[in-house]
Amino acid sequence: MTKQRFSKIYCLSLLVPFLLMVFPLFSIGNRETPFILGLPFSVFWVIFWIIITFLLVLFLYKMDPDKDEKEVH
Amino acid sequence: MAQWQIAMIMMIGYLVVALFIGILAGRNQDKSSLEEFTTAKGNLGLFVMWFLMGGAVFSAFSFLGAPGWAFSRGAPALYIITYTAFAILPWYIIGPKIGAIGRKHNIYTVAGFLQLRYSSRLIAMIIGVIALLASIQYLATQMKGMAYIFNIMTEGRIPFWLGALLSYGIVVVYVATGGLRAAAWSDVFQGILMIIISWTVGLTIVNQLHDSVPNMFRNLTQDTPGFLQIGAEGSTMSAMAYTTTILVSTIGFLMWPHLFSKSYATKARTIKKTVLVYPLFALFLIPLLFVGFSAVNVIQSDQIGSPDEILPFLITTVLTLPGWVYGLVGAGALAAAMSTADAITHSASLEFTDGFVRNIKRDLSSKATLLIMRIGVFVIGGLAYFITVFGGQGLIALLLGAYGSIVQFAPGVYGALYSRKITAPAVITGLLAGTVTNYYFQLVTDSTPLDINPGILGLMVNIVLVIIVSSFTQGKEIPMAEEYRKVGS
Repeated sequence: MTKQRFSKIYCLSLLVPFLLMVFPLFSIGNRETPFILGLPFSVFWVIFWIIITFLLVLFLYKMDPDKDEKEVH
Repeated sequence: MAQWQIAMIMMIGYLVVALFIGILAGRNQDKSSLEEFTTAKGNLGLFVMWFLMGGAVFSAFSFLGAPGWAFSRGAPALYIITYTAFAILPWYIIGPKIGAIGRKHNIYTVAGFLQLRYSSRLIAMIIGVIALLASIQYLATQMKGMAYIFNIMTEGRIPFWLGALLSYGIVVVYVATGGLRAAAWSDVFQGILMIIISWTVGLTIVNQLHDSVPNMFRNLTQDTPGFLQIGAEGSTMSAMAYTTTILVSTIGFLMWPHLFSKSYATKARTIKKTVLVYPLFALFLIPLLFVGFSAVNVIQSDQIGSPDEILPFLITTVLTLPGWVYGLVGAGALAAAMSTADAITHSASLEFTDGFVRNIKRDLSSKATLLIMRIGVFVIGGLAYFITVFGGQGLIALLLGAYGSIVQFAPGVYGALYSRKITAPAVITGLLAGTVTNYYFQLVTDSTPLDINPGILGLMVNIVLVIIVSSFTQGKEIPMAEEYRKVGS
């Protein structure tokens, strides 16, 4: 995988959870019920997607072709 | 021993340890090296880097302001953890690139970065001045937090001016002597302390008031429906305001010179790993939000002076907690404020010296530059101190305006990294117009069109102008434009 391609995948895949945290898509999570794990839905929604984002970045780092930025184009 | 005495001894003990660590970190390093002072020679490790960047998140705002937001506004407080998790992510891509450019051309500031790309001294000077004013505002907020916490935890025995002087004086000493490395190692100690304190004390408060977290939320949604839903009836913030506030914080975050210039302080791999573990900092803030939620319907808002006082108010007045908890919270809040203040003081001195002073007096040796930066730390510290203690309305408005203007650096920075076509006049026009727009909607008018955040309105004006002016001012090639674009991509 080339570096440009990785950058593109990185930006696009992290844009997804970000868009779920702001309106208009945040409307899905923006409610008080049901409670999940003792948390109101809106609070759970935000925490859940932050954890997903964390896992997503871990995965992206694993597939990063140039972790040290040695390559020169 | 009275509770306030235990608290005071613990807080002073904390300050002694903080001073000690700060000074030790800078020991055995080359004191006459400009590179060591500015970027710790570019070799900070992952652990230190993570806390250095994290220190910016754990500030007086998060320790006092986050519970305050949760208490007074409800769901909109979620914006704090949202932007904390996301704002760092672009650094994975742009950090190594900025670092590579910096190493090649010996740059260690935002001002220097833009000056070289746009071959414009004026840009660097504007950035230097805005960064200085914005930093002083930022510092004044932190210092107010420190002084306030000292005051309330000792039940008024340490006056405001002394609390600020003690805690911030220590920051100034270790930053001026040890530079970036001292700030970084102090942040490690302060970061660990804050995380432990916010979880233990935070959850203790929730349990004392409501037995458990689920119980707290059940009480809250029953008694105040709509409080945890944005834009609902009874909500304190509209959907548009919420969204644009997240946007402006996310875009603006990395534009802050003290974060931007950390790109120069380490290797690409460390930058990436720092980004990797950073969203955890957002999760660390959760108990601080819970503290604010737990006080709703327990405390009436007219019982406290401002929402920011909710955490100390709960501890000193409402709950029955032992004196050492006072001390712990005091130390935690001091740590939060100090770990932010050290990085800001350091970078404000760098930006102003590199962007402004060096462009006024162009033949400074690196030894003289270093000396000016060290003196700058004291001068900036002194200015921020006087503003905190003595205030002054007109001055505060000016500083607030500058604070909101940091995000306006974004078009110039991203233009430098990814476009050959953006020109110096375009960036200057956009920056100034964006700053004025933000200033106008933030401080002059009462409301904004469609409830959009003033910073985003400024950014829209800024971007449009950058594009238009760039297309009219295409002329001679800027030699660095192509190189900036090509490095590391």
